[in-house]
Amino acid sequence: MASEERTSEILDKLRQAVYDFEEDDAVKWAKTALEEGVDPFVATLEGLATGMIEAGEAYNRKEYFVPELLMCADALYAGLDVLKPAIDASGRTAEVKGSIVLGVVEGDVHDIGKNLVKMMFEVAGWTVYDLGKDVPLDKFVEEQLRTDSDVVGLSALMTTSMLAMPEVIKRIRAKNPKVRILLGGAPINPEIADKYGADGYAKTAGTAVDEAINLLKMLKEEEGRK
Amino acid sequence: MSGHKDTMTDRERVLALLDYKKPDRVPIWPFAYQGFACVYTGTSIADAYNKPKISYEAQKKTCADFGWVFTPMLGYAAYGGWELGGEIKWPSGEFAQAPTVLRHPVETPDDVMALEVPDVKTAGIVPLLKEFYDISSKEMLPNEPFNVMAFGANMSFTLAGNISGPDKLCKWMLKKPEAAHRLLQLANEHIIKLAEYWKDLYGVDGVLPLGGEPTSANQLISPANFEKFAMPYIAEVNQKFLDMGYKHLYAHICGEHNANLPFWARIPQGNPGIISIAQEIEISKAGETFPNDIILGNINPAIIQTGSPDEVYEATKKNVEDGMALSNGYVFSPGCEMPPMAPVENIRAMSQAVFDHGWY
Repeated sequence: MASEERTSEILDKLRQAVYDFEEDDAVKWAKTALEEGVDPFVATLEGLATGMIEAGEAYNRKEYFVPELLMCADALYAGLDVLKPAIDASGRTAEVKGSIVLGVVEGDVHDIGKNLVKMMFEVAGWTVYDLGKDVPLDKFVEEQLRTDSDVVGLSALMTTSMLAMPEVIKRIRAKNPKVRILLGGAPINPEIADKYGADGYAKTAGTAVDEAINLLKMLKEEEGRK
Repeated sequence: MSGHKDTMTDRERVLALLDYKKPDRVPIWPFAYQGFACVYTGTSIADAYNKPKISYEAQKKTCADFGWVFTPMLGYAAYGGWELGGEIKWPSGEFAQAPTVLRHPVETPDDVMALEVPDVKTAGIVPLLKEFYDISSKEMLPNEPFNVMAFGANMSFTLAGNISGPDKLCKWMLKKPEAAHRLLQLANEHIIKLAEYWKDLYGVDGVLPLGGEPTSANQLISPANFEKFAMPYIAEVNQKFLDMGYKHLYAHICGEHNANLPFWARIPQGNPGIISIAQEIEISKAGETFPNDIILGNINPAIIQTGSPDEVYEATKKNVEDGMALSNGYVFSPGCEMPPMAPVENIRAMSQAVFDHGWY
């Protein structure tokens, strides 16, 4: 069992490995964590995930850009691959903060932004149901109903594919009016999100999670008033 | 109505700007080359890309109907994926806008090192481009300043990203820079062969080499990486075009490139160059960055699609006022491709605002 000081050092190395996008270091320090008895949950949340959150903050400050975030994500997932068997073996499950169905709408294959959003939600402790790209409109409706997710996130990069968004929103609302819907993508802005009947708009991957949390808070407040 | 009367054709307007003179009024260069023109004329978006005769006629009719500069154009942003050995999918269905890459030519850095540039004449869409340019080069209409818009300038980084997939190029810049640089060298090797092919076929008069750079936008990469990986390769290709005798190059600076602008200013574009800016860039900033060039821009295409005719009219009027305040030459244009499904009444409102307020 690692001492408190040694545990703190290992967590810092994990955090730094992700932030510096050093995949080999993430693997090395994840193995060290297991060998020295650091709780794999703690190693994940206070080490790897913390590094990724800091990377997201650097992205919001325009110190990091997409290449850096993609490499941080690779380091994060490399470390998780080492820690996950130990987490599974422990039988413990993390507290789930929320659940989201994510996808790039039909007619559009640009998925880098959606993939970054997915990773930020996973790091924040959400369950993500990723439908991928070029997703048929009804698939969003079906997946939300199947998973009873709190939020649906739609992404589009083209002015043609953004036209699919109001149609998806209409179909989701028809089946489940309480679902919160979040839009993102280059041609979208808050006014268009509002016009399309969405509940929120995320300008970047870094702000998507905060926006989703705000939507959930609003939903709970509305339910509390009923 | 403005009460003004045209004293120049659109061809004369653009030629005046290329000669550093003011035209009678602001010309409209519509960025409606393919999708909008084909939807408007009742054909499909796929036809815009893979049926050159239909695409040409659609663009010609659309520009004539709306009173726009006619710059016949065939090309696509995912160029390179197919041309260097992968596969594409033509746009189909209700919501697709352009061809997309189904399979990239390379997966790994080893693939990059082993890749050779195929014969340019048979590469991907090039035979269709040639068919299109063969048609367009046969006539020069009064609204047409160039009759061959030759694909190839100002697109090295985006082309490289289409060979590998932009995500891989992004990662290799940081961790495998030798693979990223090799990919960019391959992109340039292809473009330079393409430029020589176009010159052999069509000469330089009436030909405008052009391209766009969405993948090097700051929504994806840092200005530091633009300086290191995009600028030198785009500059190399553009200088080759200019050395071959082309007088003007067209750059579509696509997306949020504000932090890249100092580096764009160092890339040769001819005298003057034609700089099409995205809606994320202020017109005044573009004017300061490119003081000797013609600025095209830059109404937000999303407004044209989702706004009311009045909103489109007002946004266009503001854009024209900003553009006419420049000491540069100015041409009104959307900040990116005209939305193919844009309501025709919005398109009319956009054009009318220029006809009403664009007089010098």
